[in-house]
Amino acid sequence: MENQTDAFRREPPPPLAQRPLNLPTPFETTLANGLRVVVIEQERLPLVSYRLALRTGDAFDPPALPGLFEVLTGMLLEGTETRTSRQIAEAVARYGASLNAGASSDYSTVAASALSIYGGEVLELLADVALRPSFPEDELTLAKVNAQQSLIAQRAQPSFLAAETLSRAIFGQHPYAVVSATHESLEAMTREELSRFHRSLFVPHNAVLFIAGDVKRDEVLERAGVLFGDWRGGKAPEPHFTNPPTRDERVIYLVDRPGSEQSNIVIANLAITRKHPDYFPLLLMHTVLGANASSRLFMNLREEKGYTYGAYTSLDARRFAGSFRATAEVRTPVTGASLAEFFHEFDRIRDEDVSEKELNDAKAYLTGIFPIRLETQEGLIDQLVRLKMHDLPDDYLQTYRERIQQVGNFDAVRQAPRDARLRARRRRIDRQNQLEARQRAAPRHRSKS
Amino acid sequence: MSSTFTLPPVPIEQYALENGLRVILSEDHSVPVVSVAVYYDVGSRNEKEGRTGFAHLFEHMMFQGSENVPKAGHFQYIFNNGGTMNGTTSTERTNYFETLPASQLPLALWLESDRMRSLKVTQENLDNQREAVKEEKRLNYDNRPYSNAFLRLDELIYKNHANAHSTIGSMEDLDDATIEDVREFFRIYYAPNNAVLAIVGDFDSNEARARVEKYFAGIPRQPVPPPADVTEPEEVAARQEIYRDRFAQLPALMLGWKAPARRTEDFYPLNLAGDLLLDGDSSRLYLKLVKGEESVVDIQGGTGERRGPSSLYVFAIPKPGHPTVEIRATIQDEIKRLAEEGPTAAEMEKLRNTLLNDSARGRQSTMYRAKRLAEYALYDGDPNLFNTELERYLRVTPEEIKRAVKKYLLTENHSIMEVVPAQSGTEEAPAPAAAQPSSEPAQPGAPPPQVPSPPPARLPSPTEPPAPISDATATHPEQPLQPTDAPTMKG
Repeated sequence: MENQTDAFRREPPPPLAQRPLNLPTPFETTLANGLRVVVIEQERLPLVSYRLALRTGDAFDPPALPGLFEVLTGMLLEGTETRTSRQIAEAVARYGASLNAGASSDYSTVAASALSIYGGEVLELLADVALRPSFPEDELTLAKVNAQQSLIAQRAQPSFLAAETLSRAIFGQHPYAVVSATHESLEAMTREELSRFHRSLFVPHNAVLFIAGDVKRDEVLERAGVLFGDWRGGKAPEPHFTNPPTRDERVIYLVDRPGSEQSNIVIANLAITRKHPDYFPLLLMHTVLGANASSRLFMNLREEKGYTYGAYTSLDARRFAGSFRATAEVRTPVTGASLAEFFHEFDRIRDEDVSEKELNDAKAYLTGIFPIRLETQEGLIDQLVRLKMHDLPDDYLQTYRERIQQVGNFDAVRQAPRDARLRARRRRIDRQNQLEARQRAAPRHRSKS
Repeated sequence: MSSTFTLPPVPIEQYALENGLRVILSEDHSVPVVSVAVYYDVGSRNEKEGRTGFAHLFEHMMFQGSENVPKAGHFQYIFNNGGTMNGTTSTERTNYFETLPASQLPLALWLESDRMRSLKVTQENLDNQREAVKEEKRLNYDNRPYSNAFLRLDELIYKNHANAHSTIGSMEDLDDATIEDVREFFRIYYAPNNAVLAIVGDFDSNEARARVEKYFAGIPRQPVPPPADVTEPEEVAARQEIYRDRFAQLPALMLGWKAPARRTEDFYPLNLAGDLLLDGDSSRLYLKLVKGEESVVDIQGGTGERRGPSSLYVFAIPKPGHPTVEIRATIQDEIKRLAEEGPTAAEMEKLRNTLLNDSARGRQSTMYRAKRLAEYALYDGDPNLFNTELERYLRVTPEEIKRAVKKYLLTENHSIMEVVPAQSGTEEAPAPAAAQPSSEPAQPGAPPPQVPSPPPARLPSPTEPPAPISDATATHPEQPLQPTDAPTMKG
């Protein structure tokens, strides 16, 4: 190793001049049947990506049928009025394309990507599975049996067990409490039920079609008109959800997993919706506290203490409610010590000023990684889907970095954990008094992948 | 189908510094970001007996400070300037990489050069990272179903310790690693002449050359490291084991075959045969077992690509009432059918279009390109393979696929692992069945499967943030993490 240090090595070099980010401007129109279509022309590579997004997701499952939407979206690829599941899979593969369908709690997407030379054919496949699924009886039976087996397998994962108990505790009777189907709900799902749900929710007024890539706007709009123009349907019903419970004391849930090598710690509370005015301050707080490997929790629990491979927070801001979570997987003997460090960090960020440097670093992180997410066509189109599904303003991508920069109020950042109801009280954890060990009996499962 | 379909070649400049550092530059001004990847020619294949897991533990030490960068300063500098970063260790190599706003290229070069020339190691930092790595091992292997069985499968496939043992290593060997080991490893393997630097993105090549010279030229060359011996004896018998997994709720079947090294003539058709058998809902084994017989819940598999012998593996979760012996027989039948009949015209078209689609999508992310360019430069001395290897794949004929399947898969000489759920609380251990147990530890190269569906290859790395809540799997490689609540995909 060298001893002589060149002067230029002592300090990090200053940045070069900024280079401009040219965000594509999406073109938006609405078909006569109410379907909104968003087109981004991008000639960079001979590729095209599609998303048909519906403003309906797992949260809309009937209370007696958790997992219905997940099964429904999965079944879209298992047969249409004119194609079997095998024909669908083989057609997609033959174009070298991909076609998926899936649901999150707030929305669902049918997604496809292809070489642009096959763009027209693949959009036809997407339309066929989205609009004309036949839910074949034998395929449904198979899907249900496999989902039931997956439910069993899922329970081997500590992260699943933690998420299951935690979501129930945080969201109560709100549908976000549910993280998977049950054996019973799978048993009860019928072809008729799926068809009925599909008819009432897969309607053009409830959907947005996104097209990004090497396409000509006029041509692709004409194609979309042919494939989706005859799609009919009424208004999707508005959801009415029970509010999540409020909380005024810390409750500890223990989930026993015999033989575990680690404790999965999740500390959480109800937080905010995606459109809440505190979203950006909370996003910055999350960045300072636990978003990445330079955040406070990681530096403390891993780099200083060596308790864990990683300690992080997550900001889970959804359309109807949200949570804020802090997590780490730690070797069992340091579970208590790790909890103490978590609460120490919560206290610190609540009670002490976040320095100007930390705040600026967090802003630099969020604004800097933003273009990285838009490097790929899939990254870009998924940002647009998210924006539309959460009713964010049309100039959201254009103004995102400004919105981050505008958070100037240190108080807002510091108060964020309180708004997030992350009440880390200063008292020792008294397991005897506060222990409320609960193990959920019903097995739940959250989809493939 | 357009037979004239062509992809624009990625521009590539390649040169070497006086000290032997190979440099690859590829300009792309689409998005104002830059990706930097540094690949060192050292992986778990280079580890000595008694030091399994060391290459990866060492990788963690590369984030613990150098002459001008404090401990964890690397994380701080990258994230606090709007970048993402990580490093991973495989059997073959150790890589370090970051994507930053284009204006921060000098920062990346400063950070990478400082640790290449002046890594600082202290006992305290080694002890700290040893603990972090042990938690990583618990998280990704010891506390999960199937993962350790998967490592055990590699011990059955390979007989040479260099190939067979796991990259994550054993707890005992991690405990035994000393600060002298770290210093020696750094001296032997972390030399400029044992590394490749790739820069891809929005920068000016002339400026970048000058900066690379400034930061890296003064780092002295070292003697060429000893080569890894990855030779394997000929396979002469099937190996079979039962693995009692205390976390698995469902039994599983794993199969493994030794395969030719990457970029050999036989590797290309065999790799494509693996796709035909296992890749996606249109693959032969999916259609046969998940759909046709309805005998398995899920089946996955693929090729573990290596410079030494590669491997091909299958992982299946049988349904109750379907014994693994029956499933194995069906898999053998399908292999036989492919060996005898070869792929159909439709399958050849599917392979061709999938290759073209993947190649086009791989040209999007600067980080994906930086990694691939560095890999081709390090392994093959030819980063232009990023542009040209596709042609080799496209030339593969049905006849070559038939022959490769017959030669490498239609053989009794493969490894069979049956995973049996053990009562929780009992010891997790391989229980020898038909064949003798190996006394050695394990290896990935192929990803440890997860249930119900596996992540992309999980290589040990210094940090790995959690997946966003109810997020989807990335269907394409190298996608940056997306925040919150994207749909879970099936398809």
